[in-house]
Amino acid sequence: MALRVPVNLRKNLSVVLYAFQALSVAAVIIGLASLLLLPLDEYSRRTYISENALLPGQVHAYFGGSEQNIVRAFRKEVAELGNSTSDVVAFRMAEIFRSAGLKVGQQKYSYKAAGGEYTGENVYAVLHAPRGDATEAIVLCAPWKNIDHILNEGGVALTLALSRYFKRWSLWSKDIIFLISADARAGPQAWVDAYHDLHGANVQSLSVKSGAIQGVVVVDHPGPYHRFESLHIMYDGINGQLPNLDLINTAVQISRDQMQLRTDLQEMWHHEDTYRHRLRTMLRGMVNQALGHSTGPHSSFIPYHIDAITLATHGDGWHDEMSLGRTVESVFRSLNNLLEHFHQSFFFYLLMAPKRFVSIGTYLPSAMLLAVGLTLTAIRLWIDPRSRSSTDDGQAVVKNAGEKGGDEKKKQTGDQAATIPKPIDGGPKRELFLPLSVVIGVHFCGVIPFAVFNTVDYKSMANVFYIFIAASFVLPMILATLIALTTPPRRLMQTFHLSRCFSLLFLGMFLSTLATLNFSLSFLIGLFSLPLTFARATPTSTPIALMNSILLQLTSPFAALFAVAGYWGLGVEDVLREASFGWWVWGMWTPAIVWCVWWPAWVVARVSVDASFVMAATGKVPVGA
Amino acid sequence: MKLSGWGSLAVLSTLLYTPLCLAHSQHTSNWAVLVSTSRFWFNYRHLANVLSMYRTVKRLGIPDSQIILMLSDDVACNPRNTFPGTVYNNADRAIDLYGDNIEVDYRGYEVTVENFIRLLTDRVPPDTPRSKRLLTDDRSNIFIYMTGHGGNEFLKFQDAEEISAFDIADAFQQMFEKKRYNEMLFMIDTCQANTMYSKFYSPNILATGSSELDQSSYSHHADNDVGVAVIDRYTYFNLEYLETHVKNASSKHTLADLFNSYDPVKIASTPGIRTDLFQRDLSEVLITDFLGNVQSVEVDGDGMRLDEDLLALARGAGYNISEAEWKEAMRGTREFYEASPSVSERSTLEQKTWAGPARVYKDGETDFWRTVMSAGAVAVCFVGYWLFSIVDKA
Repeated sequence: MALRVPVNLRKNLSVVLYAFQALSVAAVIIGLASLLLLPLDEYSRRTYISENALLPGQVHAYFGGSEQNIVRAFRKEVAELGNSTSDVVAFRMAEIFRSAGLKVGQQKYSYKAAGGEYTGENVYAVLHAPRGDATEAIVLCAPWKNIDHILNEGGVALTLALSRYFKRWSLWSKDIIFLISADARAGPQAWVDAYHDLHGANVQSLSVKSGAIQGVVVVDHPGPYHRFESLHIMYDGINGQLPNLDLINTAVQISRDQMQLRTDLQEMWHHEDTYRHRLRTMLRGMVNQALGHSTGPHSSFIPYHIDAITLATHGDGWHDEMSLGRTVESVFRSLNNLLEHFHQSFFFYLLMAPKRFVSIGTYLPSAMLLAVGLTLTAIRLWIDPRSRSSTDDGQAVVKNAGEKGGDEKKKQTGDQAATIPKPIDGGPKRELFLPLSVVIGVHFCGVIPFAVFNTVDYKSMANVFYIFIAASFVLPMILATLIALTTPPRRLMQTFHLSRCFSLLFLGMFLSTLATLNFSLSFLIGLFSLPLTFARATPTSTPIALMNSILLQLTSPFAALFAVAGYWGLGVEDVLREASFGWWVWGMWTPAIVWCVWWPAWVVARVSVDASFVMAATGKVPVGA
Repeated sequence: MKLSGWGSLAVLSTLLYTPLCLAHSQHTSNWAVLVSTSRFWFNYRHLANVLSMYRTVKRLGIPDSQIILMLSDDVACNPRNTFPGTVYNNADRAIDLYGDNIEVDYRGYEVTVENFIRLLTDRVPPDTPRSKRLLTDDRSNIFIYMTGHGGNEFLKFQDAEEISAFDIADAFQQMFEKKRYNEMLFMIDTCQANTMYSKFYSPNILATGSSELDQSSYSHHADNDVGVAVIDRYTYFNLEYLETHVKNASSKHTLADLFNSYDPVKIASTPGIRTDLFQRDLSEVLITDFLGNVQSVEVDGDGMRLDEDLLALARGAGYNISEAEWKEAMRGTREFYEASPSVSERSTLEQKTWAGPARVYKDGETDFWRTVMSAGAVAVCFVGYWLFSIVDKA
């Protein structure tokens, strides 16, 4: 049952305990440091095209000349429809697509989340590849309103113009779908769900379909301005999933080398490829990934293993929509060259500059080491003698041996060895019932905030949230008081000890698993959970308990929520609405992980810390404290 | 008199034939095996390489019936092709290599390692059409051109399998043992191409490749409307030489000239030439010995067989000649040949076993009496008819 350690170490357990402590501290420090090393040239790599078939930028793009007049005309058309309702827009767009000789479909959808209703009508057209076999398709998407709710005039006009232009080429090997989604968040999700017949009753089925979607390019050129300075490539998918790096590399290479267009990532408009800028880009990417939310219409496609990016224009420069059109044309020619689904390049990576990245093999250790730090702490708590119950007749001395060094320990252990012959795994047993029920119970409680925040109305969101903060503040105190008052003193420390042990063990295991799926979320939760490794019950020292308590409050899920809200410049209720919307529309798991994994671990740590106050206040000092 | 006439004719023809034989290849037919091994649209250039070579050997006179063209994919009809039904090897798009006069013998997934080796060694199923067989003999010169993606001692076929340098070397040895070639020119354009011919051990093979071990072979240029690279460097510069120097099948340019034209700087890799298995001096080997077809009409068979063939012809024409008489008449020729070392002794032996369509009569029997008898019989018939008609009138 207990960790098997050599007998001499058992007698002198403090060595093992210190070793574990040192190891877990070292793991955390190395984990953090290795993340900070990633932007260096030695650890990151230049991006490269893995898929030979893509041949980015090897074709002349001919979109230009008189096409510009067509784009301008469509722009006017779009601007006139700017204030119309979704169905009027869809009707008119369908008309335009039909006049270009394409098959057209329309789709209504309606989602309910956080007390709001999100409805709209998508319209799309299918261009069948004249010499292709209709088994594969690529999608050109333009949301009617972009993620910031600005009318995507340029993007929609360009999509309409490109649909006519692409129709004239006979070289497509895949069908091309032109999708004009009603918005940038729910519309694409409804469409891609219906495309794969995985939609609910709130979403209409699609009347026209094509083959398996190989790639998606979203054009976001909002506002009435024709000209732009650079292309902002957005690539984060739902739940931190990413498109294949080859797609991003293709877009970057075509924009930069063929079109002389600057490309930006993660809203880093002035990237000078220095360490600082690389680190910031990477961290911004990690925040987006950790939140797991949609950063544009492309995000909804990625969970379906469809590689998608958004090309958004930024700034005011000398490029016009023709440059954007040619970029899209060239990217489409590359996608058209694909022979298989994107698979050659990385799906797990962190980008730190448009042409620099680290792959999973390099960055994974940092999140893993944080999780390992938590797990090592859990193991240390398990082998710590204080996790065993002391018997009434003062056998607790054995357990004190680990903490109290010096000659006293030697004398006592010497005495025992002389009097009682002990089995190797001997000694008092651990009482598991109470600590396990605390940990499991609190984790079950995690369902409550998760359910509440996913059902509550937007208007009352903020109030519910503050009530919940208060409840989370009080809950550990109540638990600590109950445990402290009902448990016999000899089992008291052990209970807090073991509950921390189980909680950390679970958290450590969960985070190391999560690191392979959503590295950033795992890393950030690991980072915020670091105080859990040392926040313990200290009945003898109230100042330490107070310090721990403050630290825990600062690194609570709530603090993180406030931080995120501050980072985006939103109210905390907006973040919660986003989370609720994410759960109902996109199937975003972040709220579930926060409320059902992180929050319970935090509560368990709080229980131990709060117990210090309770014990200090009641004067109930446990044996061995 | 008759016999001595035949003998002098034989001696005369051999004497005329012999000097040619020393200066030129001893081949009587030319074959070409042109193989592109890679699949997929982005490997357009490999198909263009092969089709360029196809165009060249056809231009220099090798007929389609003696060209085995193996095209591993169909880029001409790929939906991605901006110019459907065409393959170009240059961005100027002056020559459509796919044209309207092209015979692809092995197409698409038929291009496999197995089919290639079966083709070379002629171990093919009995129902294989002639167009898919390499019907060569020991007087055939074969030009083998391969291109695709390769590595150290291997060449990838179809993205699924690869042929190793040992496989090809063994196949060539089998060809040699089965007397399926006289001389062979092996040319390969792929990465680390020179490793592909490093394992050859059969005689009379001349080999050249585009790049050394650990060297890549590169494409020459891309066509930005087709959207892919259209030709590889090594093949490009080979073609450049062939197109500008070897204008027609009577060209006197030698392989030494061609190999000297290779410029590692332009080709961006170091082309290799392997001559140790080859008997002749490269400066005496015409390019058209391999890339062109045999132009001059020559007597079938080599010198050693000539007298045997003449004997067979003579007997076929009805002359009743005994072996001894023939040898006597042929003495001069035979002495001439026995003085020089023979290359193909065994084939001569085999040739002797062939009896030919000769009618053999016993010694002393002649045609004369047969002729008299038959003429007499006809005369008797006429006389009989005449007598009968007289009797009938009366």
